[in-house]
Amino acid sequence: MTEPARPSAPFHMAGVDGEPPRLEELVDRRALTEMILSFELLFGVPIRILAGSGTSLAGGAGFGPLCAVVNEHDAGQTACAAILSTVRHVSLPLTSSHPESGFVPRSGPASSTMARAPSDPGLHRCFTGAVYRTLPIEYDRRSIGRIVLGPYLPIEGGPRPLAAPLSTAPGGPPDSLFAADRAMDEGAARAAWPRLAQADAATVEHLGRHLTTVLDVILFSGHKALLTSQMHLASIQESYRELCEKNERLEEAYERLKELDRLKSNFLATVSHELRTPLTSIMGYGEMLAEGVAGALTEDQAEFVATIRTKSEQLLDLIMSLLDLSKLESGTAVVRVTRLPIGDILADTVTTLTPSAIKKGVEISFDAPPDLPSVLGDAERLRQVFLNLAENALKFTPEGGSVHLVARTAFEQSDGEPGLVLVAPLRQVIEVRVIDTGVGIIEEERDKVFDAFYQIDQSSTREYGGAGLGLAIVKRLVEAHQGTIHVEGNEPEGAIFVVQIPAARHSVMPNSRRSMPPIFG
Amino acid sequence: MQLDFSAREVTVKLVYYGPALSGKTSNLVALHGLAGADTRGRLMTLETQDDRTLFFDLLPLTFRARDGDVSLRIKLFTVPGQPIHSATRRLVLQGADGIALIADSRLSETQHNADAFFDLRENLRTNGLDLAKMPLVIQFNKRDLPDIRTEAELGQLADRGKEPVYLAVATKGAGVIETFMGLLHLTWAQLDATHQLAKKLSIDGDTLLTHAAQKLGVSTPFGDLLARRVGGTRPRSGR
Repeated sequence: MTEPARPSAPFHMAGVDGEPPRLEELVDRRALTEMILSFELLFGVPIRILAGSGTSLAGGAGFGPLCAVVNEHDAGQTACAAILSTVRHVSLPLTSSHPESGFVPRSGPASSTMARAPSDPGLHRCFTGAVYRTLPIEYDRRSIGRIVLGPYLPIEGGPRPLAAPLSTAPGGPPDSLFAADRAMDEGAARAAWPRLAQADAATVEHLGRHLTTVLDVILFSGHKALLTSQMHLASIQESYRELCEKNERLEEAYERLKELDRLKSNFLATVSHELRTPLTSIMGYGEMLAEGVAGALTEDQAEFVATIRTKSEQLLDLIMSLLDLSKLESGTAVVRVTRLPIGDILADTVTTLTPSAIKKGVEISFDAPPDLPSVLGDAERLRQVFLNLAENALKFTPEGGSVHLVARTAFEQSDGEPGLVLVAPLRQVIEVRVIDTGVGIIEEERDKVFDAFYQIDQSSTREYGGAGLGLAIVKRLVEAHQGTIHVEGNEPEGAIFVVQIPAARHSVMPNSRRSMPPIFG
Repeated sequence: MQLDFSAREVTVKLVYYGPALSGKTSNLVALHGLAGADTRGRLMTLETQDDRTLFFDLLPLTFRARDGDVSLRIKLFTVPGQPIHSATRRLVLQGADGIALIADSRLSETQHNADAFFDLRENLRTNGLDLAKMPLVIQFNKRDLPDIRTEAELGQLADRGKEPVYLAVATKGAGVIETFMGLLHLTWAQLDATHQLAKKLSIDGDTLLTHAAQKLGVSTPFGDLLARRVGGTRPRSGR
């Protein structure tokens, strides 16, 4: 195709083209919450995962009873909200040094989270005496969210895995707790304070490192799955676009072919008509010459005129066939549908051909049961079908052979098909078999014989004449009756043309006229 | 190419194209292995059970210049080579800044190599890109296999062609850096000519590329790396 292809739709890979991926696109929130709960259980420190925008994506048990007491009054609420806002939004420096991702499992005491300077932007002190530790979540060396650990009371000592809240806490609540809200229920606050989570520096360090490592794998897998599904969809869309484009081209080609076919049919009709007109004159004058209108003819002259007349008749037959075919192909032929007994048509056919058969020494007969259902069809056209088939059979059957026309009832469906007992009666057909003992047709040629102008023997010296239009016309006529035609072999020699035409059902009223379908839709 | 002035970052998309099983993914795996820890990202492979690339592979590389002031972020993609994945190849090619065509050196693969090239040209055209203007290097991979086109013959052909040609055994890491640096050099030259990157970011392209080669574990000056192409007797300055 020389036409330039249309460009593909733009494809944007999330997190690869332009902005980094959004955390919420890469994780399943419910599953993440389950994981966070498990980490909380293991380390005894509250955990929250925040998206880049500060929105909470997953959190565990959340704030403890002290936070509930603090948030009972406006002043406490305001003070708490200020701390949380800082925790959520304060800028965290990127810490990427990990080769494979943005996550930075810090290692070694030098980079320990708890060893950071007091101005460490990742550590936030609450007026309750508890602290929050924030760690950036990085992907491809860009920040896409944060981990918040806390609130917890920092304690001295070694790591305490599986830490449960202690029943007693070191020391007591700082003054800043009560200063934040004078209206606070001090008794309740003092009772709740020891139930704050408590953790030593090493535990928080372990937790942060472990959580970032696990999240790293999850986010990478999530991004991979996201890209895979995006690419999958985009590939399907791209293939669909390509298919649509090809379909359009096919449609255009099909339209062009239809137009060419129409032109061909018109051409055939016009040419046939133009050929027939002068031929009629030739035949007329030939007839007058033969009848001696222009004077008596010598024996030779009479023979020549007879040849002119015979050949003119043949030419006229050919032209009429062409005209017929072009009408059938263009869909302008009209079928006058009536209920017909097929037996009468076969009887007519045999009667018509009996003289030729006798002359050639070929036996011709037919067999049609009297109780055969009728068919819906055009009597003239069906007569043409069977006359043509029988004539053909006669032509290819040598002396001493036979041509036999047999009609019977059959069903379109094959035995054993599902629902046959219900459907088969609706699909009753009349099958007519035109059986000869002639030269036969080899299997490979059997479908081709219905093509216009096709001759099995295409040599210039072929034994049997004809333009190769008869069977093409027959096939179209049978199809115009919603029927089928095919060829089978006759053992030991000869051919069987099998025509099936739907039987008329009693409930179906025949239409008086209908057009034959054109070859193209 | 994306240029982020505020972050002082240039993001470049390079695509490894080629027939099925020519070693595109092997190139990325080798680069991933050779790159320094602070340079390479995770190698993302989207492949089927039998290790055939299903959609693409992606290797992010980040080179920092001027003490980290400027970042050159490379997104290195492969395409699936099997003919059925034409639509995916077209999608991956979108926005490509440079292409390495990874060919199979075996004589029996000559037709497949040419088909891949025609497919590349057609898919670029569909994406509104012109192959003639696209930085392109060609790698003849699998030099360790029998029945391959000889280096002498490739040299003669390379002399007549316009693209730099490199030889490689990607599974052993040979020729991989040369191909990558050759492509990066052509791509940088083209982007710099179009967008004046060096001027805008106040960096020297050669220094940046030398630094990139070092981060890939190579101390050879990148000019020497580029000279390892096959043939190359015709003068070729950037494209």
